[in-house]
Amino acid sequence: MAADILLTFITVVFALMVVFSKRTVVAAFSLLMTLLSIAMIYFQLGTVFLSAVQVLINAGAIAILFVFVMMLINLENFTNNREKNKTKLIIATFTVLVILGVLALVINNNIETLSLVNLADNSMKALFEKLFTTYYLPFEMATVLLLAAIVACVVIASHGKKAEEKQ
Amino acid sequence: MSIYYYLSIFLFCLGLLGTILKKDLISMLLCLELMMGGVALLFILFSKSTGFLDAQLMVVFTLIVSACEVAVGLSLIIALYRKKQTIYTDDIKIITE
Repeated sequence: MAADILLTFITVVFALMVVFSKRTVVAAFSLLMTLLSIAMIYFQLGTVFLSAVQVLINAGAIAILFVFVMMLINLENFTNNREKNKTKLIIATFTVLVILGVLALVINNNIETLSLVNLADNSMKALFEKLFTTYYLPFEMATVLLLAAIVACVVIASHGKKAEEKQ
Repeated sequence: MSIYYYLSIFLFCLGLLGTILKKDLISMLLCLELMMGGVALLFILFSKSTGFLDAQLMVVFTLIVSACEVAVGLSLIIALYRKKQTIYTDDIKIITE
C-alpha cells in the first residue's frame, strides 16, 4: 500500500510538471519521468512485459524523439510569455473539472468490483498465444501502420525542405 | 490498487487541460502523450480486475498507435517550422498558403 501511494505521488508530481512548467525541455523530461513511473506501476501490477515495452518505446523512443525535435527547432526564440486568455482558462478548467468529477463518480460507485484482483493466467505465454492467434490480423495491421507512419514522416519532412530550396 | 484508478483519470484530465491551454504544438503533443499514458494504465487495471488478457493487448496496440501519432505529429511540426518559422497555434490561421 505504501508503494502504491509513493508511486502515485511521484507520477502526479511529474505529470503536473509536464503541464505547468514554463520551459518545454523541462516538460519533455518530466514526461519521460512520468512514463517511467507508469512503467514502475505496470511492474508492480505484475504486467512485466508491458512494463519493459513501456520503458523501451514510450520512455526510450518517444520522449527522446521530442528532445531531438526541440534541438532541430531553435526553442530559444520561443518564450512561453504569450498573453493568456482568461475566459479560455476558466472555461477549460471548468470543463475538465466536470469531466474529472463524472469519471471519479463512475469509478467511485464501482470501486468494490474494480479493486478485486482476478488471478487469471497472466503469464507472458498466455499473452502471446492470444496475440498470435486471436489478434493476429490487428497485429499485422499495426506493422503496416508503422510502415505507413515511417513513409509519411519522410514525405512530410522532406516536402518542407523542397519548398524551402525553391524559395 | 484502487488508488491507481483515480491516478489514471487524473492523468487523462490533466493531459486534456494541458492540450486545451498550451499554445505551442510541442507542449500540446506532450500533453496528448500524458492522456495516452492514463488510458493505457486504465486498460491494465481493468485487465487485472477482470482477468481478461485482451485489455493488455489493447495496451500494446495503443503504444503502437501513439508512437505513429507522435512521429507524424513531430514531422508535421518540423515542416510547419520550415515554412512559417513558428510553432504557435495562434500564428497559424490559414492552412493552405
